[in-house]
Amino acid sequence: MAACTVYSTQPLRTNISIPTSSKTHVGFNQKQVVFYTTTKKSSNRRTNSNNRRYLITCGAGDSQTIVIGLAADSGCGKSTFMRRLTSVFGGAAEPPKGGNPDSNTLISDTTTVICLDDYHSLDRTGRKEKGVTALDPRANDFDLMYEQVKAIKEGVSVQKPIYNHVTGLLDPPELIKPPKILVIEGLHPMYDSRVRDLLDFSIYLDISNEVKFAWKIQRDMAERGHSLESIKASIEARKPDFEAYIDPQKQYADAVIEVLPTQLIPDDNEGKILRVRLIQKEGVKYFSPVYLFDDGSTISWIPCGRKLTCSYPGIKFSYGPETYKGNEVSVVEMDGQFDRLDELIYVESHLSNLSSKFYGEVTQQMLKHADFPGSNNGTGLFQTIVGLKIRDLFEQIVASRAETPVGAAKA
Amino acid sequence: MAATMAGVSLSSPRVIFKGPESLQKSQAIRSGPVFMLNQRWTGAVSSGRMVSIRPVQASPDITGKVEESIKSAEEACAGDATSGECVAAWDEVEELSAAASHARDKKKTSDPLEEYRKDNPETDECRTYDN
Repeated sequence: MAACTVYSTQPLRTNISIPTSSKTHVGFNQKQVVFYTTTKKSSNRRTNSNNRRYLITCGAGDSQTIVIGLAADSGCGKSTFMRRLTSVFGGAAEPPKGGNPDSNTLISDTTTVICLDDYHSLDRTGRKEKGVTALDPRANDFDLMYEQVKAIKEGVSVQKPIYNHVTGLLDPPELIKPPKILVIEGLHPMYDSRVRDLLDFSIYLDISNEVKFAWKIQRDMAERGHSLESIKASIEARKPDFEAYIDPQKQYADAVIEVLPTQLIPDDNEGKILRVRLIQKEGVKYFSPVYLFDDGSTISWIPCGRKLTCSYPGIKFSYGPETYKGNEVSVVEMDGQFDRLDELIYVESHLSNLSSKFYGEVTQQMLKHADFPGSNNGTGLFQTIVGLKIRDLFEQIVASRAETPVGAAKA
Repeated sequence: MAATMAGVSLSSPRVIFKGPESLQKSQAIRSGPVFMLNQRWTGAVSSGRMVSIRPVQASPDITGKVEESIKSAEEACAGDATSGECVAAWDEVEELSAAASHARDKKKTSDPLEEYRKDNPETDECRTYDN
């Protein structure tokens, strides 16, 4: 049963692609019908303020998009996370076909991923002139970000600018149609309070300095011109802005994935084995944290033993309630690496509240992307689990929205 | 009769990249419509942002850009290590390194047969025989 609500909209700063040549016009935009009437007061077409547009949105309860925010510094695994996330929902996410080849947007059947770098107000030359980094809020247009995310959430398509990372310029905009799930990923999804309020769920990828350094070395040493010193200098130079503007977003996130060096190997400086913590905020609507054995108690678990043999240095799990940045949280922690499939399935069978649809779904998702970085340790595991949690959140929201319009119709 | 090779220069011509302007001039314009030119840009132009058409690079030389940016960052920081220019220069290095690594990843995964084989392992082109 379809429920229809009538809105009268203000003219948006961004254009909706509906021709405005005739006096009355009926246009179709997915499930929306827009009646656009112009009053006869002024034959001057330039005055838009007299036009009232009535927007009737009809949907079977899924007319509103859910918005997920993902914050992380550059080089911290956002793209890998995005690919895992879109894979959980089904379908591969690809850049929009036929558009700008340097577009940062990814689109799959259910999900659209928008890179917040597209909302830079200063391009590369502009930032160089002013001496600001991309991390600085002065380089970003939060008003436009808020307007457009709000519009997409309400089911209106927008023309979103494109920031071309190759040239460092702002390209002509591309059309973004409202998907079922919108993911905004970048440096500042939770910085602006208005944008924060639009998010249904938010995630922060917190990589510790040692691990960040190791990952950047892996990424950049193959590049001509880079040396250890230049990589170090780059990280150090960005640190003040990062700590001032990006790091504080941690306190607002519903889930934080913290990546630290391992504690299993004393004095390890290779950085290959990672200790990953999934910090889950308590009391978030539609989000029930993952736990080990008993919700709310403190557990330390080493799965390797009689039933499972692991190679050095093994795997160690822990779980417990904590306080993080003034919030009550539950933390699941994994230290070590998976070497074999049966280790993964063994661990999965002992975790509770995974929101998986069948036994072994987490393992299956991890194996599907065995070539992604982090597929054998906590980063891949927790990213996959967060993906399942988001799917669960989406289904709950859709179910709750389907109930309310029916209730209103009956009343 | 062996021909003498005296006087033939064997050095290959080297292109020296001076900067982003010369880069754009020397790149060929990619064939086929890249921008939909009849698309309205009115939504994008605001608060003094410059929007211009320029040739799309078929194979961008990001590596050259990364090298340049590192050199210019080192120069900018030679004076004052905490100034805005120095920080912005290193941020640019970071951005270009990220773009370079994404380009490398894209190149790695763009084998069309492998893509097809992933989805259709049972078709004739993709079967493997183990004996």
